[in-house]
Amino acid sequence: MRVATDIGGTFTDLVYVAPDGRVHTAKSHTTPGQFEQGVMDVIQAAGIEPQEFTAFVHGTTLVINAITERKGARTGLITTQGFRDVLEIGRGNRPDFFNLEYEKPRPFVDRYLRREVPGRINYRGEETAPLDLSGLPAILEDFRGEGVEAVAICLLNAYANAAHEEALLAEVRRLWPEIAVVASHQITREWREYERTNTTVLSAYVQPLAHRYLDRLTGRLAQAGMACTPYIMQSNCGVDTVQNARQIPITMIESGPASGIWGAAALGRLIDEPEIIAIDIGGTTAKCGLITGGQVTLNTDYYVERSQTSAGYPVMVPVVDLVEIGQGGGSIAWVDEFQRLHVGPQSAGARPGPAAYGLGGQEATTTDANLALGRINPDYFCGGTLAADMAGVAQALGRLAQRLDMTPTQAARGIVRLANNNMVNAIKLISVNRGHDPRDFALVAFGGGGGLHACELARELNISRIVIPNHAGVFSAWGMLLTDLRRDYLRTRIVELDGPGAAEQLSQVFQELEEQALQAYAAEGIPASRIRFLRYGRLRYQNQEHSTEIDLPGGPIGPEQMGAIVEHFHTAYEREYTYRLDAPVELVTFHLIALAEVDKLQPQARPLSHRNPQEARKGEREVDFLELGVHRATLYDGARLEPGMAFAGPAVVEEAETTVVIPPDAHCRLDEYGNYRIELAAGQAGPQRNE
Amino acid sequence: MTSHYDPITLEIIQNSLQATADEMFAALRRTAMSPIIYEVLDMGTGITDRHGEIAGSGAGIPAFVGVLDKTVKRILEKYPQEEIEPGDIFITNDPYNGGVTHLNDMVLTMPVFAEGELVAWTANIAHWNDVGGMVPGSMSTEATEIFQEGMIYPGVKLISRGEPIRSVFQILTANCRMPDFLTGDLWAGIAAVRVGERRIRELVAKYGVDVFLHAVDAYMAYGEQVSRRALRELPKGTWSLAEEQDDGQIYRVTVTITDDQFVVDLRDNPEQSQGPFNMSRDDTVVGCQMAFKNITSPQDRVANGGTFRPLQVLTRKGTVFDPEYPAAMGIYYELGIRLHDLIIRCMAPHMPDRLPAGSFSSICGTLFGGIHPDTGRTYAVIEPELGGWGGSARKDGNPGQFSAFHGETYNCPAEVAEARYGVTVDYLSFHDEDGGAGLHRGGKGVRIDYRIRSDKAWLTFAYTRSKVPPWPLEGGQPGSANHIIIRRATGETERYAVANGLTLHRDDVIQIMTATGAGWGDPMQRPLEQVEEDLKNGYITLEQANRHYGLERRRRQQKAARA
Repeated sequence: MRVATDIGGTFTDLVYVAPDGRVHTAKSHTTPGQFEQGVMDVIQAAGIEPQEFTAFVHGTTLVINAITERKGARTGLITTQGFRDVLEIGRGNRPDFFNLEYEKPRPFVDRYLRREVPGRINYRGEETAPLDLSGLPAILEDFRGEGVEAVAICLLNAYANAAHEEALLAEVRRLWPEIAVVASHQITREWREYERTNTTVLSAYVQPLAHRYLDRLTGRLAQAGMACTPYIMQSNCGVDTVQNARQIPITMIESGPASGIWGAAALGRLIDEPEIIAIDIGGTTAKCGLITGGQVTLNTDYYVERSQTSAGYPVMVPVVDLVEIGQGGGSIAWVDEFQRLHVGPQSAGARPGPAAYGLGGQEATTTDANLALGRINPDYFCGGTLAADMAGVAQALGRLAQRLDMTPTQAARGIVRLANNNMVNAIKLISVNRGHDPRDFALVAFGGGGGLHACELARELNISRIVIPNHAGVFSAWGMLLTDLRRDYLRTRIVELDGPGAAEQLSQVFQELEEQALQAYAAEGIPASRIRFLRYGRLRYQNQEHSTEIDLPGGPIGPEQMGAIVEHFHTAYEREYTYRLDAPVELVTFHLIALAEVDKLQPQARPLSHRNPQEARKGEREVDFLELGVHRATLYDGARLEPGMAFAGPAVVEEAETTVVIPPDAHCRLDEYGNYRIELAAGQAGPQRNE
Repeated sequence: MTSHYDPITLEIIQNSLQATADEMFAALRRTAMSPIIYEVLDMGTGITDRHGEIAGSGAGIPAFVGVLDKTVKRILEKYPQEEIEPGDIFITNDPYNGGVTHLNDMVLTMPVFAEGELVAWTANIAHWNDVGGMVPGSMSTEATEIFQEGMIYPGVKLISRGEPIRSVFQILTANCRMPDFLTGDLWAGIAAVRVGERRIRELVAKYGVDVFLHAVDAYMAYGEQVSRRALRELPKGTWSLAEEQDDGQIYRVTVTITDDQFVVDLRDNPEQSQGPFNMSRDDTVVGCQMAFKNITSPQDRVANGGTFRPLQVLTRKGTVFDPEYPAAMGIYYELGIRLHDLIIRCMAPHMPDRLPAGSFSSICGTLFGGIHPDTGRTYAVIEPELGGWGGSARKDGNPGQFSAFHGETYNCPAEVAEARYGVTVDYLSFHDEDGGAGLHRGGKGVRIDYRIRSDKAWLTFAYTRSKVPPWPLEGGQPGSANHIIIRRATGETERYAVANGLTLHRDDVIQIMTATGAGWGDPMQRPLEQVEEDLKNGYITLEQANRHYGLERRRRQQKAARA
């Protein structure tokens, strides 16, 4: 039996695949402070036994929560002489640019715990001054006296040569064997000292917590009889061993969203939709990502707490390329002093929640607007577990409408349209801003709110095909069951591609990285036969900074292949930026993905039903389709719909965890995996394709 | 409610204007060749209405976004209607002709047509490494006429109906010391205005010309409303300030705030400089706009044509803030930050809860270059520097931050600088120079040491706030000074605030020292535990703790009181 558990802010989700291939889900409350209890609870709720597990994948918000709630360890930093304040200076930027009282993010290590050692490596990796560790015992003594619980090491130019960091790391371990310690080269070999230092510091900051948590979790599972190897979901859309996750916990930082995006990519390969825009609409936020050729894109410029008013904290680890905005079901609608309506980013959360919860929420949220417009069924709210407080909804919308000088219905429409517009702009950031035309993509929408908004989003973006996956409410956990072991190795090293010996350098660095990966896997008992490599390079025109990632050939690279590599870059660059230059091309960063197959889920097609969807009909009601007006829509019970059934809009499908709104001009069919496949009528008015 | 237009649709269009400016910014950033564009982000993007008023807030350096409307207005004056056609792109760098700043800043603008009608313009501005002139990098502190500062492009058509005009491209590349960089940066700018133009056309196609134009007008009205509302909350009256500068000249400002106007009177100021220390009247307006926005509504990000309607700027022709052609203007930016600081300093004592004490308040523009010792290629560094900001009624000043004119500007990482320029960064941290004591301290200034690795490198810079330090408030102490120390390989040291084309050799070190911001409030009132924490963190030395904060004396007093 394959099992995945995903700890979220409110719920811990579980998805398992029974031996007969059927997928089952369960949910229980997240248990902060003792997250492993929530995992044991949800296993119990599902009625399954750890002895039966053949695979176990786990994702958790532990790391991101510890950082945003400032609940990590007291951390000390050791860096190169002369660079103590890099962590506090950051990059000097000020996103809140009109505000002279801007508050700069406070570093995670206070100045007195930032210490220096002499010794220099230059950018070519050559030692120009020897490492001097004579002061180290005194530094560690001070750290002990100050109650330091974790040590981060980041030395200048360690991306080019990690020898000094390795020596320093070894000496710290020798002098203070029980301390949690991590050096930057263990996490990344990319340049930019502030970003690398901050990443190392944050990893050290969560390391003791992650150690304790993972040890407790694996202990409890083993005690309960689980015999298979547990894997931990990573932000790079792969899973990793517990051993590795303990060492570099920072790579777990966006594991939940990563598994959702990955799930969309895997689903796309299954149903032959390789070009996908994925959006996960939850209670507080919406996250979107782009999938091309069935593959996700990773970036290493992720930030924690970055906003219009804060520069945030960079995390230089591979994180699936996604944009997250404060738009979800619980997003609060508000009116500014100039009578303009806004939605989010503040959320009513789980308590008091939307006005419809009847728990004292006075402000209208997107969920309330959807209820008022008949898009969500008040009599089947939250799967019928909660009676929607429609009087509360009417009051909240009424107050808002009065301030706007509108009717409550107009206000409700305004809320949903603005929420949609905010999500459309987020999707544009990951698509049109990167040279992709949304019309070439299918929209895969999941999370509790995916089905509610998907068709309107698609219409705005001129997307005609929409997929609402089966189990959309626990889709992230489902995605985890489809992952492989994955490690990303990044190394900054500039190679002029038209220079002499370029092919040899490419071959040599990739070979080094591949050996490093093989050794790391071998140390954990994973044989070379299970490992597959994918090579990428970040290339740019000489003198540019920002690079474009392209895939590179495997095996030894010969000089005769260089022309094709360079042409590949020109083409990719031109697609993204509309022009190409007659300038030398250089490779800046090597990127190797080392995948090791694990025993993962192979989703099974179900036979198509020949029954009439009318059997799943549960009634009809007036539903507001925004710009398409109000229509009488057929209501379907999602639990009774079967693969192969098809019907036309206007319709609403109600499931326990989600609602799918299907506009009058759309057609919906359930495919052999139980996914809703919706087609919008073609030829909608909208922007013309640019030539 | 105003009209029959659906307010939600109008808001969606307005949001899309911002999204488009952001998209143009992203495109320009990712394709530019010069570090000053892609790393320092010395650039801005924006959309104007069909008359040239800034419509979206734009993205990038806020002081740059305010340039773009002036460029478009000049193009509209200069070209008859029939000579502005779909697909055209214009290029401007002439401060006397809508270019606003100095010749290094190149503005590209593109008209947007829908249904045969001009509906908007997209534009961007970016600092180019070199545009010719008497020195590499084009900005010389010794220029006396604008002609010595590079080639002038006074609103020239660069692309006609989508087709590049080859001869203009040839003139551009022929008049630049680094033509490869120029070509890359130029195409980056072209790609960005084109992306914006396409988005606006899509928007108009979807909602119609009429609705689009109305949305833009309504957005301007909203900008004006925000400003007027904020003005009502400000104290009313007239305030004046005369401030001595590092060179002994006196700058004067008089600010008058009424219920519906904010007037900045700069007429009583020194005659224009014989050198490049001048700024165009247009840019003087931009500097005043920045201060106006900082004072009135810093939290609201809208900054469009409507925002600045209540602002009036008075200047006198022939002065540093409104020079006669052909005065040089290479170092305009240092005048700009002086002007901005002058207005803030004039107003801060009268609105102590809104404005902080003086910051390092200099762009600290630093230019150096030479031959990369490992690659043999020419390199040129053009960068502003990070410094300390003043304390305020609420908090200590920020350390290591770019000037008030910057926003999303990033410093160059030491690791990148070492590889790209072939210099060694020996030091990048705070310094211990005295300054900024207060109940709320000034933020720390920064020291950066660049060790030059090859002979015959050059260095040019012009810092202000080097003699007259950042100004304190409410009994705080002044900040420290901006300056550069050259530590020669021979062991000699030299100290400067301004230098033009200094020659440096192998192992000479450029030690950049930026000011610590000024303090707010009496340092003796700073709680002892905070002083002790500052000492533990090394933000102050023991000597400074005793001298300014009375650490030992107050400890003794505390002990005596307890006993």
